[in-house]
Amino acid sequence: MTAWLIARNTFREAMRDRVVAGMVAAGLALFAVTLMASPLALGEGGRLLVDLGLSGISVLGLLVILLTGTSLVAKELERRTIYNLLSRPIRRSAYLVGKWAGLSATLWTVAVLLGLALCGLLLLRGGGHSGPAVLEAVYLAGLELTVVTALAVMFSAISTPVLSALYTLGFFLVGQWSYDLRLFAAKFPPELGTVLRVVANLVPNLPLFNMRTLAAAGETTTALHLGLATVYAAVYAACALCLAAAAFESKDFK
Amino acid sequence: MQSPTVEIAGRPVIGQRAREVGAPDPSLAVCTRRLAKDYVHPWTMRRTRGLEALDLEVGRGEVLGLLGPNGAGKTTTLKLLVGLLKPTRGRAWLLGHPVEDTASRRGLGFLPEQPYFYDYLNGVEYLELAGRLSGLGGAAAHERARQWLGRVGLGERPRLVLRKYSKGMLQRLGLAAALVHEPELLILDEPMSGLDPFGRRDVRGLIAEQRDRGVTVLFSSHILPDVEMLCDRVAILLGGRLTQLATVGELVDGGRQSVEIRCAPGALLELPRQWAGEVTRSERADETVFRLEDESRLQEVLAGLLRAGVAVRAVTPQRPTLEELFLAAAAGERTRRSA
Repeated sequence: MTAWLIARNTFREAMRDRVVAGMVAAGLALFAVTLMASPLALGEGGRLLVDLGLSGISVLGLLVILLTGTSLVAKELERRTIYNLLSRPIRRSAYLVGKWAGLSATLWTVAVLLGLALCGLLLLRGGGHSGPAVLEAVYLAGLELTVVTALAVMFSAISTPVLSALYTLGFFLVGQWSYDLRLFAAKFPPELGTVLRVVANLVPNLPLFNMRTLAAAGETTTALHLGLATVYAAVYAACALCLAAAAFESKDFK
Repeated sequence: MQSPTVEIAGRPVIGQRAREVGAPDPSLAVCTRRLAKDYVHPWTMRRTRGLEALDLEVGRGEVLGLLGPNGAGKTTTLKLLVGLLKPTRGRAWLLGHPVEDTASRRGLGFLPEQPYFYDYLNGVEYLELAGRLSGLGGAAAHERARQWLGRVGLGERPRLVLRKYSKGMLQRLGLAAALVHEPELLILDEPMSGLDPFGRRDVRGLIAEQRDRGVTVLFSSHILPDVEMLCDRVAILLGGRLTQLATVGELVDGGRQSVEIRCAPGALLELPRQWAGEVTRSERADETVFRLEDESRLQEVLAGLLRAGVAVRAVTPQRPTLEELFLAAAAGERTRRSA
């Protein structure tokens, strides 16, 4: 219950700071530019719109996480607003879960609004058959952002905003290459290979959430893929939040 | 004979183990046993003592004032009690629950020093959030939020966002947030700081009202008259150590009591030799004042003055103020440390 209250408040903060409005406006501007550039795509305008549109949702979401999520807890420490919360009957872990859930809800709102706008544009251009694939891709993008938010909250709980932004960006970039890291690991000497495998297993497996190319071709994915991605996102986010809670539990608020 | 029981991390501990950890008396609102806090510098690992083995018991319904100069350990003590700091050694209980248990904060209202709030919320929204986080239901939280905003004099503009609040308004809002769920125990860190005389009077009134309702109040302050006016007992902290704990009356009566004898002007220009060092003479606008450092020689001095034909107007015992006692205690602590 307390986590829900904190989540609702975090969501309210993001709405009042016009994070959602700003991101939706930026996304719509990106869609408009893509539409204007589509005649140059030699008949592949629809594919271009889907590909850039979905990439835009992921990149804008990442920007929100880096600008807001990585200072989510640090800002409360700096402004000392956290004193008013943690002096109430609230578990520190519930506080972190609430912060994560609130920012995740914000990102899901941005992703869904932009996804629906993208589907609407495709319908207007006569490419309505890609709609289900786009919605699946938006769902996976939302899961990806949920996982990266959990990492941002974890780093924010134990580090400064600048460092946690760097760590989160690092995990995001390396996570995008986690498949390739595993491939490299097989080709390197055993010691280095082991290190690469450990790194590949530590960072989130983000290619699991990327079906932009499929969606651009109008193809949907399987229910198994969607289910696996959902479970993986839930488990990875839970692990990150457990680590964050363990570090946060012993923290002194001077 | 019944075995003592104490709860640790939500589990009951009975018998010998409970005796070892020191089960608190359930009639106490606040109990600390050898509570200590060391701050460790993250780079140099140098330790600084924040609080030294504090044993403190505050009964239910009592008002205890925590006095001390900056860096004495007042805020450290209060933060340890509300769970914002983790103790290095020792234990503490609030309302019978160990402070590491969230249940200890169910009946607690806390006002931090110079409180900060979410500036995107308005007064009603903030108090609603505070009430709900302290266990009130949605409708009750809304009703209490409006009620308390009015009680602290901020009810005229309930939708004003907090970024537009002045410092005094924020302090009042913080107090309302500490009281919105009607707690059994109030812990206030410098509740009068930043307030004008009217604000101070209002806050004093609110604390007195809570005291009359039977709420236990523990607060720190630099403003000694407020402490003297409100508190049943006073604890003086110096250099992280509890140096005195007594009722205001005991502290004041415990000090040496001097006596002033006010006489008509120009009386007894030269003091007899046998009074030297014990009686001082001073001239005021329309009277002469003889001051005795203690009352042991009062009869003798008074008889001497009357024999000399001095017109005595009044004899007034001079009780030391809390401020004088506090300054004396601080000076004593400085001497102890330098020795």
